Amino acid sequence: MAASVRQLVRRVIRLSHRNINATAAGGPCLPGCCWGPSTGRCLSDAAGDRSTHFGFETVPEAEKAKRVYQVFENVAEKYDVMNDAMSLGVHRLWKDILLHIMNPQPGVRLLDVAGGTGDIAFRFMDYVRSQQERQKQRAVRSNQTPSWQDISSNYSGENEDQDGLRESRAVVCDINKEMLKVGKQKADGMGSAGLSWVVGDAEELPFDDDQFDIYTIAFGIRNVTHIDQALQEALRVLKPGGRFMCLEFSKVTNPLLSRLYDAYSFQMIPVLGEVIAGDWKSYQYLVESIRKFPDQEEFKGMIEDAGFYSVKYHNLTGGVVALHSGFKL
Amino acid sequence: MFRNVLGRLVTETVGVHRYAKKASLIPRVTPSCVSVRSFTDVKDEAQQPFDTSLLEFLVCPLSKKPLRYEADTNELINEELGIAYPILHGIPNMIPQEARLLHKDTDSSPAPTQE
Repeated sequence: MAASVRQLVRRVIRLSHRNINATAAGGPCLPGCCWGPSTGRCLSDAAGDRSTHFGFETVPEAEKAKRVYQVFENVAEKYDVMNDAMSLGVHRLWKDILLHIMNPQPGVRLLDVAGGTGDIAFRFMDYVRSQQERQKQRAVRSNQTPSWQDISSNYSGENEDQDGLRESRAVVCDINKEMLKVGKQKADGMGSAGLSWVVGDAEELPFDDDQFDIYTIAFGIRNVTHIDQALQEALRVLKPGGRFMCLEFSKVTNPLLSRLYDAYSFQMIPVLGEVIAGDWKSYQYLVESIRKFPDQEEFKGMIEDAGFYSVKYHNLTGGVVALHSGFKL
Repeated sequence: MFRNVLGRLVTETVGVHRYAKKASLIPRVTPSCVSVRSFTDVKDEAQQPFDTSLLEFLVCPLSKKPLRYEADTNELINEELGIAYPILHGIPNMIPQEARLLHKDTDSSPAPTQE
C-alpha cells in the first residue's frame, strides 16, 4: 500500500516536471504558431514522411490512428465513470445542451460518429420519444370536444396514423469495437428500439450520400487523423438541409480560468485516470490532445472550408467546450 | 432479481442528473457486472441477429456501393470488389482493413485491402 502510494507520488513528480516543460512550450498554442497541426505537417513534408501530433508527441500519421485505437480500447470499460469523475458530472450538461440546441423532431435520422458508448444517441432517443408524447398530448388536449364526424374518422384512421409517422433512428458509428460493445450492452439493458451500431472510420464512412438529417460528433473529432476528410464525409452523408454538430474541448478565453483549467487537466486528470481506470498514459494523451486541437475560430474556418454554411459556435463553461454547428445547403 | 436492480440502476444513472460523487459510485458497479453477464451469455451474443434495416443506407466504405447480407457466414458482401465485412455481436465492422477477400476457393484468411 505504501509502496504503491510512493510509486504514484514519484510518477506525479516526474510527470509534473514533464508537464511544466510541455505547458511552457505548448502554452502559446495560438493559431499559426509552430505547434499548429497544419504547420506540423508542412515541416514533416520536407522529410518525406507525413507526421502529425499525438498529444504533445509527434508521430507518423499512420501510427496515430493505431495509438488512438489503443487508448480507447484500454479505457472503454471505465469510460463513462471516468467522464463523470473528470468533469464532475458536467459532461452530462454539455451533452444535454447539445440535444436542446439540436431540438430534433420525431422522424429524423441521426448519425453519431465517434459515438462510442452512445451517450448522444441515448439522449436523442429519449428526447424524440418525449417530443412524441408531448405532441400526442397536445393533439388529445385540442381534441377534447370532437364532433361525431371526428370520432368516426378517428376510429378508422387510428392505425394509419402510427404507420405514417416515420420512426426516428439513431446510428452510432465508432472506429473502436470495444467502445461500441460497451454502448450496446447499455442499450440492451434499457431498450434499444431505433438504435443501430456500426464499426466505421469517420474519414471513410460506410454510408450512402444524403442519408442523415443530423450528424453529431461529440468529443471525438480531435482524435481523427485527418479532420478535413472527416468533415467532408460529414458533408457527404448529410441530406441537404442537414445539420452538422460538433462538441469538442476548446480554448478557454479567460486567463484565470485557463490557468485553473490547465492545472486541473495536467495535475488531476491523469491521476484520476490512474486511480480509477489504471491508465495514466491514456488520460495524459487526452489532456494533451485537447491542447493540440485548433481553437474555436480556426475550427469554424475548417468547417466552412469543408462546405458547410451558417457555421456558428457556442462556448460552454467559459470555452472549455465549444459546440460548433453548420448546415449543408 | 439482482440483475433487475442493476438494470434499473443503469437506466436511472444514465437518465438522471446526479452529483458526481454519487454518480461515479453507481456506474462503477455495473461495468464489471455487465462483463460477467456477457461472459456467461457469450453464445447468445455471437448469434444476435443483424438488423437488415441498416442495409438501407449502409454501403461499402471504399466503393460506396450497396452490400449484400450473407446469413450463413454472417457477413456483408461487396460483390464488385470481392470483399466481405464481418459482423460481430450484431455490429457490422466496416473498417476496410478488417474485411476479408473473397477468393474463388473461399479462403478465409484476413486480407489487407487498400485504404
